[in-house]
Amino acid sequence: MPLTESHWVLNAQSRSALPFIAPALALVSATIVLPAAYVLYLSLNASSFGQAPTFVGLANYEKILTDPYFWRAMRNTVVVVLGVVHAELLLGLGIALLLASGVPMRRLVFSALIAPYAVSEVAAVVMWRYAFDPDIGIATHALGLIGIGPLEWSVHPWQGLLMVALLSIWLHLPFTVIIIYAARLGIPKDIYEAARIDGATPWQRFRCMTLPLLMPALLVAMLFRYIFAFRLFSEVWLLTQGGPARTTEVVAVYLYLEAFRYSNFGAAAATGWIMVLACMLLASFYLHRLYRDMQGHAS
Amino acid sequence: MRPDRRPRSLKRVLARAGKGLALALLLVWSCGPIVLMVTAAFTPERDIFGGAATAWKPTLENFHALWSRWSDFFRALGSSLVITAGATALAVATSLLAGYGYSRWRSAFLARTAFGLIVLRLLPPIVCTLPLFPIVNVLRLNDTHIVLIVLYAAFFVSLGTMVMRAFIDQIPRDLDEAALVDGASRWQMLRLVIMPLAAPGMVAVAIFVIVFAWNEFLFAFIFTAKNAKTAPLVLSEMIGSLDGAEWGVLFAATTVQLLPLLAFVIACQKYLIEGLTAGSTKG
Repeated sequence: MPLTESHWVLNAQSRSALPFIAPALALVSATIVLPAAYVLYLSLNASSFGQAPTFVGLANYEKILTDPYFWRAMRNTVVVVLGVVHAELLLGLGIALLLASGVPMRRLVFSALIAPYAVSEVAAVVMWRYAFDPDIGIATHALGLIGIGPLEWSVHPWQGLLMVALLSIWLHLPFTVIIIYAARLGIPKDIYEAARIDGATPWQRFRCMTLPLLMPALLVAMLFRYIFAFRLFSEVWLLTQGGPARTTEVVAVYLYLEAFRYSNFGAAAATGWIMVLACMLLASFYLHRLYRDMQGHAS
Repeated sequence: MRPDRRPRSLKRVLARAGKGLALALLLVWSCGPIVLMVTAAFTPERDIFGGAATAWKPTLENFHALWSRWSDFFRALGSSLVITAGATALAVATSLLAGYGYSRWRSAFLARTAFGLIVLRLLPPIVCTLPLFPIVNVLRLNDTHIVLIVLYAAFFVSLGTMVMRAFIDQIPRDLDEAALVDGASRWQMLRLVIMPLAAPGMVAVAIFVIVFAWNEFLFAFIFTAKNAKTAPLVLSEMIGSLDGAEWGVLFAATTVQLLPLLAFVIACQKYLIEGLTAGSTKG
């Protein structure tokens, strides 16, 4: 089917589909596309509450990129995201394979493992603060038994970030587990039979069959977790508010403070667009492949 | 008994023990914090702070205290319910329609907009708060349920549309044609043929939105002040104001916020898994 559709005139197929897709497009345009475009405009202007924006070019970006607090926030974010996502992938892979190898009461065990999916960030913070309370926390006691002192997450920046990372892993591991486990269930059983007959060791079966076959799911899980982990806000805000002395800020917290505490919309908008660009960059490989697939799909 | 039997069975026993241990550790990791907190919610305030050498006697006193002193929390729970229901209905309806559109027709325009929807899903939501904040003020929608309903739905339309398209792709087009030949309109056909068959997809989308809307913190934090405050927001205020002195009430409130959704997710896990796989691998 030749596509004779120009950018502005829709062909019959598009016109038939339009009434169905219009509500969705209108909803995301009004709440996401237009605001994101306006943020781009804001990022090139100096503005604050009750003050008309004045064009300042790239000054906001320059200001942020020379702000040591921004770089600290960026460094914290990158460290936490890398640690969290890779720990999740390793754990998720381990759990998926463990479940697939056969466990008693699999449905029940699976429910228990994905339970944190239903927990809000706020509730998770309540639980983890209780467990790691310096005086009465059960995790503090358990760590004390093996000779590790209390986790002073409100005092030492790196311990605060460690707590944030643990909490994030706990909250988001179910997502990774579900994606990988579903992919593992999709691998046909008979290829394992064949490998066993050929005398492959368990390690060989994992290395040469399971891992390559799970790779697409692992990559998808990794991409989505990178993107979502990068937004990290609530866990940090509720645990440390970026303190003490702005040492545990992450990029989203930095943006929030610039906008709503220091009323510096230009700088906040520039931070926002840096986040957008970082996400697009992370996802560029995936988006490129997807775009090619969709072009093929369209004709 | 053959001589080679023993080492092999020993190895098997060890492997089993290792697996059991790993499983036990994982269960403690995933459910430990929840069980700990829920148990504490039913523990008298004074026993939460050590001194629990006596046998544990479950009590509702924390829930009574919550009821009498934090009426705010129950109002917020009501808000959360309204917002979750509204956002879910809006997101499922728009996703169903768009999923149908993208499933049944092909064009360059449709491919481009579908791609656009996926790109939007990657944008950090906090970015949109900046311009929305003044706009919401101008429209006098600040601190209303409508803002959160629209925002929560909007951030799930992209995933929802892809999930619905994946599910509707599996419904044969012959069924559409047959219904149309019989004189049904597109909308009747959608309601009578597609909707019943795509129901699992709609449930999956609904679960995503329900979990998100019930638990969301950032937007509620920025766009509500008093009337439309959601339960997670009041919980966060309790964390701030109690400062560790009144854990019992906080645990009771957290339990009330958590348990219904937890039960719901566990009951619907089948749809959740189908939806997640359809949305992330085929989208």
